[in-house]
Amino acid sequence: MKKLLTAIFTMASTTCALAQETTSSPLEISGSVDTYFKYDFAKNPLNAKTSFVTDHNSVSLGMIDIALKKKTGKASFVGELSFGPRGQSQSIPDAAAGGSSFNIQNLYVNYDFTDEFSMTAGYMGTFIGYEVISPVGNFNYSTSYLFTNGPFQNAGIKATYKFSDKVSLMAGVFNDWNVYSATRGVSAVGGQLMVAPVEGWTAYINALSGAGFGGYGTIVDLTTSYQITEKFKLGLNAANYDIKDSSVPGSYAGAALYPQYAVADAVTIGLRGEYFKVKAAGAVPETAFTAVTLTANIKSGGLTFIPEVRLDHNSDKPFFNKSGAAAPNGGQFSLAAVYAF
Amino acid sequence: MKYILFCFLAISSVTLSAQQKQFSKDDNGKFIYYQVVDSQLLNKDTLLQRVKSFVNVVYKKSMAQQTVTDSSVLAKGTMVIDKTILVAGHPSGEVSYNFVFEARQGKYRFWLTDMLFIPYQRDRYGNFVPATTIGVPLERTPGKLGAGAWKDILSSAYNKVEKFGDEFKKYLATNKLDKTKKKAETISTKKW
Repeated sequence: MKKLLTAIFTMASTTCALAQETTSSPLEISGSVDTYFKYDFAKNPLNAKTSFVTDHNSVSLGMIDIALKKKTGKASFVGELSFGPRGQSQSIPDAAAGGSSFNIQNLYVNYDFTDEFSMTAGYMGTFIGYEVISPVGNFNYSTSYLFTNGPFQNAGIKATYKFSDKVSLMAGVFNDWNVYSATRGVSAVGGQLMVAPVEGWTAYINALSGAGFGGYGTIVDLTTSYQITEKFKLGLNAANYDIKDSSVPGSYAGAALYPQYAVADAVTIGLRGEYFKVKAAGAVPETAFTAVTLTANIKSGGLTFIPEVRLDHNSDKPFFNKSGAAAPNGGQFSLAAVYAF
Repeated sequence: MKYILFCFLAISSVTLSAQQKQFSKDDNGKFIYYQVVDSQLLNKDTLLQRVKSFVNVVYKKSMAQQTVTDSSVLAKGTMVIDKTILVAGHPSGEVSYNFVFEARQGKYRFWLTDMLFIPYQRDRYGNFVPATTIGVPLERTPGKLGAGAWKDILSSAYNKVEKFGDEFKKYLATNKLDKTKKKAETISTKKW
């Protein structure tokens, strides 16, 4: 025990001493842990058509997520790993390990050539869309159809130029979606224009074209949020994805609106209203979902309780009722606990 | 076992001493960090020059000079509040503030006030960024659920402001030209 403590203090002292002599920032450690209970109104887990929150009548695990970041001078790295269903088998790029391995959320290096210009290379959370894998980054615990059907992560090299605090532009080349190494070469180009027209309002116009889900395709996406008052925030996500080969299913279009209102210091209530259309492809007909999700975030320190009611509709009856017959509506209640550190 | 006990006592002492420090309030009921410093050796012009250098050079990334007179400097600034566990941690938010400096012959005073807190959240790339653009006054009374976290924020903010104040006083008391000359000195190993 004595040796262990000595070692810890020596390491800590060394880090402090080094920090004083160089321009490096301390090592940042952050992460989250989440767990949930979900009850499907038709008692059927297959009614969940979007990512995560899959189990019915079960206290289930999300994931434990651990992120490290370090900056020395102009260079920095981020490494973020997650373990658990949300970060493993449900996060796609784990097929080779049968869904039993961990998932890398971020693993990249960055270099700030100037205050305005930086370059980043590695595996990163996608720049497309409003929602993310980490439950800390989302207001709603369940996810949208737009999130589920879009890319989760992109490996690539990107350059970002910041014209001012109100405008920046990113451009890069990427592998196909959600893979640690390219299966079809570095085959996609992407870009992001960020504009902040007024204080509190930020909009991202994104495009990614190349190898993706269902072959080669192009996705165009608008992600924006506006903190209109201290209590009221409005978010919007709209996207269109077209696969080059129109006979391959998977092309989609949709929009989701996210109004949120803080009813107290620690309590915010929010709604997600979404329309999502899977486009017709070959013999597969078009089908459309609408979904309304009512969510509350109740915060106490690092802990957030997220009670949520979600109702989905599709006239083509992809859902199931209590007797197992096809139904146009699905519904669920969930209660999640997310701790961020 | 003794070592574990020692560690816990040491950490508890640091925590307790951090909790004891808190902001005073000004005439308007706002938190203020206020310092009056005797400075007999430096005249007003030298002080002002050093303050401008501190704001526009040393803290150029986080402070913006607003107005300057022959005896005062007003600036706005932000400072990042860290959530630290021993030597590792991460930014948990930032505090914006108004900075006022006034000089008289033989002494000067400065204060930080109008402090607003903006929490940080981790973005999709693992970086900590402001969660909102609208800051919350540090003087607010938090609800029961957020009371513990708010206490930590106040404590961290005070420590950061105090550190800033110490650095400011040290900078004003230091002649930068002497320091530069000292740095340029070389050591010869030929004679000893």
